[in-house]
Amino acid sequence: MALRFEILGKFNRARTARLTLPHFVCQMPLLLIIYYITFMIFTGTIKGLRTSQLEDIGCQIILGNTYHLALRPTSELIDELGGLHKFMNWPRWLLTDSGGFQMVSLLHLADITEQGVTFQSPVDGKPMLLTPEESIQIQNRIGADIIMALDDVVKTTITGPRIEEAMYRTLRWIDRCIAAHERPHDQNLFGIVQGGLDPVLRDICVKGLVDRKLPGYAIGGLAGGEDKDSFWRVVAQCTAALPVDKLRYVMGVGYPLDIVVCSALGADMYDCVYPTRTARFGTALVPEGVLKLKHQAMADDTQPIDPTCECMVCKNYSRAYIHCLVTKDAMGSQLLSYHNLFYMLKLSRDLHSSIVNGQFPEFVCNFLQKMFPKGDVPQWVCNAMEVAGIDITSCCSPFPLSLIDPQARTVKFSRKNSIKMVNAKDQ
Amino acid sequence: MIFTGTIKGLRTSQLEDIGCQIILGNTYHLALRPTSELIDELGGLHKFMNWPRWLLTDSGGFQMVSLLHLADITEQGVTFQSPVDGKPMLLTPEESIQIQPHGFPLLLQNRIGADIIMALDDVVKTTITGPRIEEAMYRTLRWIDRCIAAHERPHDQNLFGIVQGGLDPVLRDICVKGLVDRKLPGYAIGGLAGGEDKDSFWRVVAQCTAALPVDKLRYVMGVGYPLDIVVCSALGADMYDCVYPTRTARFGTALVPEVFILDFAWVLKLKHQAMADDTQPIDPTCECMVCKNYSRAYIHCLVTKDAMGSQLLSYHNLFYMLKLSRDLHSSIVNGQFPEYAFVHLRNFAFIFSWVVLYMISNVFSLCCLPFGLVHITCHFFCLTRFVCNFLQKMFPKGDVPQWVCNAMEVAGIDITSCCSPFPLSLIDPQARTVKFSRKNSIKMVNAKDQ
Repeated sequence: MALRFEILGKFNRARTARLTLPHFVCQMPLLLIIYYITFMIFTGTIKGLRTSQLEDIGCQIILGNTYHLALRPTSELIDELGGLHKFMNWPRWLLTDSGGFQMVSLLHLADITEQGVTFQSPVDGKPMLLTPEESIQIQNRIGADIIMALDDVVKTTITGPRIEEAMYRTLRWIDRCIAAHERPHDQNLFGIVQGGLDPVLRDICVKGLVDRKLPGYAIGGLAGGEDKDSFWRVVAQCTAALPVDKLRYVMGVGYPLDIVVCSALGADMYDCVYPTRTARFGTALVPEGVLKLKHQAMADDTQPIDPTCECMVCKNYSRAYIHCLVTKDAMGSQLLSYHNLFYMLKLSRDLHSSIVNGQFPEFVCNFLQKMFPKGDVPQWVCNAMEVAGIDITSCCSPFPLSLIDPQARTVKFSRKNSIKMVNAKDQ
Repeated sequence: MIFTGTIKGLRTSQLEDIGCQIILGNTYHLALRPTSELIDELGGLHKFMNWPRWLLTDSGGFQMVSLLHLADITEQGVTFQSPVDGKPMLLTPEESIQIQPHGFPLLLQNRIGADIIMALDDVVKTTITGPRIEEAMYRTLRWIDRCIAAHERPHDQNLFGIVQGGLDPVLRDICVKGLVDRKLPGYAIGGLAGGEDKDSFWRVVAQCTAALPVDKLRYVMGVGYPLDIVVCSALGADMYDCVYPTRTARFGTALVPEVFILDFAWVLKLKHQAMADDTQPIDPTCECMVCKNYSRAYIHCLVTKDAMGSQLLSYHNLFYMLKLSRDLHSSIVNGQFPEYAFVHLRNFAFIFSWVVLYMISNVFSLCCLPFGLVHITCHFFCLTRFVCNFLQKMFPKGDVPQWVCNAMEVAGIDITSCCSPFPLSLIDPQARTVKFSRKNSIKMVNAKDQ
């Protein structure tokens, strides 16, 4: 195993840890609970930001898309040039996914069999087969610190036997990935839990992966359109069942609120395009939610995006200036990307600090109060926090908001569902 | 710089880091968006874009001629079709400088608040011939008076006049004298870098720099390539602007001091397949952030796929140009001046850095400005060495273009050591033959002495 995971603090299910990987040993005494894996990289860059800027804002780990890197500049060239760290001049950690998801999401001729995923190559249009063995070999060449097993990915909105088939195939493929893995001493192979929204299937998959004693685990197949109520329950179940001393990575998450909830439930690591993608639409992340810089009201607003933010953008540029840029020049998106990433990384640092300092519930309440000043915290959040043992009653309106504001949703605690979840965990 | 107050892909803090002194803003584009009133309301362009150094705004005239097909020039001003609503709009000398009480609040260099503002001139392409050139030159002189009268902030904004007159030395001479009579803070040489042959180009620059006051800044608009800047500097110009470094970056081209591979002179084409596995930096001698952190292979990978490729190349190219101007400056300042140099020296302005103009769709220009005035007694000895070194790297075969040789002769810079002693056709049938043209250079000196 090529990593060390040490838990530094806990609050109920939430925890914060120090992760040590061979490629980079963080000098900070306190590491992020959330190693926020920031961006998808096509060709070895985050849109609009240099690696030195990412270092400046505290990014610890970057995710690379194996599929795209294999196409360009190819894993062989990356290997020849000394690996992806050297190629893109990134001294910290890298994680590569398996390539499976992109091929399913991007290409319309993808066909999944026991052997692997057949798809149409965007380079020459010919059929190509990505097997577990090939995925791991590509990732071995790229050289990331954490590599992902090839899993059989199914959208959560699908129902029927396909979900069960995909879950069992994922378990068979993990063995092939393990067998093909040539660098277990410096690359950590993570398994990915599948099983759709079915708690029984999820349970089987978790147990199967845990039996393989992997360095870390991912919860896959979420953030694909399922309702939030189902989403948090799958996360809660998996984090309850996965080993406490192993890293838990929820793939494709997400929005700041989702990250806070999942952290409360015991997850450690996340990845999402959201901060940078929303930046390219002119949207900034702020404690109250989002700020749309394209809005006309921004045109003469001399405040920074977020007066409380310490990032380079907020310290140097006004909303008016960025408003001016966002529809006309790439610099607008870049400044917003920088701010949004800074925001997310600060969020994760704050989560970490709050746990270490024993202030986690206060942090969560404060976060929710800013985001939902009227007390209209979504029901799923309330449910999830109850399971996580975090008391957020102070953030939630005591009255059904329909009495105060006819357009507001009513907030209800659902004890019935939360009790059922607890029982499933105890089995 | 540009539309909205930014240089494509580079933040103002990065420009500070690499030593940029001055940025050019296109008044026309800024007036459209975000409008000069808003800029004024928000405290001026310096504050709006958070740029603590100098700004220069052009008059807006050239953009309207270059950009809009319904531009029509009369004595009153330039009428054009607004890209916002299609209606006709009139840009006058007064409006270029400030708001007219009853006119369109179109161009407000006073409101934008740049340190240097340009007069509205009647711009004519150098490839045009006929009476239009003379008409434009005299109109430029009449308009400068209107600009001066309209200028409300002479105490903190410097109004520069622009010399017009096409390629006609007589017209240029009249225009120079007319502008010098107005005792302006600085002067620009306009109407060049528009397709004229290089031989005509350097002669106009040489004539104007010879005639303009020695103790005033001379700004050659729209220039240029590194070679052009070295030549114009030798001839006595101080300031330049050009989109070239950043525009060529967006095509995947880096500026380098010498031929590295594949016989490319002074550029490296990162899109070339040979770059795909090249682990060297763009320029092993360059100290910029890009060359210290990224390989050619990495940038090759980016340039066709991601904006970051263009941005890294823009950064490097601007660094390169700024270093060129710093080196030019140092070579002059640090040199020693033998007495005979004084005899040969005429007008010498030394460059601190230079200006890069960002044009057209990106309206702001990057200006790296010098300001350093000149020691006429110069240090041209060191400058000679610098120029020779520069030319040797750029033309290792000695095939220095003829126009450069001619210009350097007029400038009094001996570059024979850089030029092949033999017609290159004898060595390399595909090379151009280098000839010194004494006849032309003598004619130039005589014209100046008149």
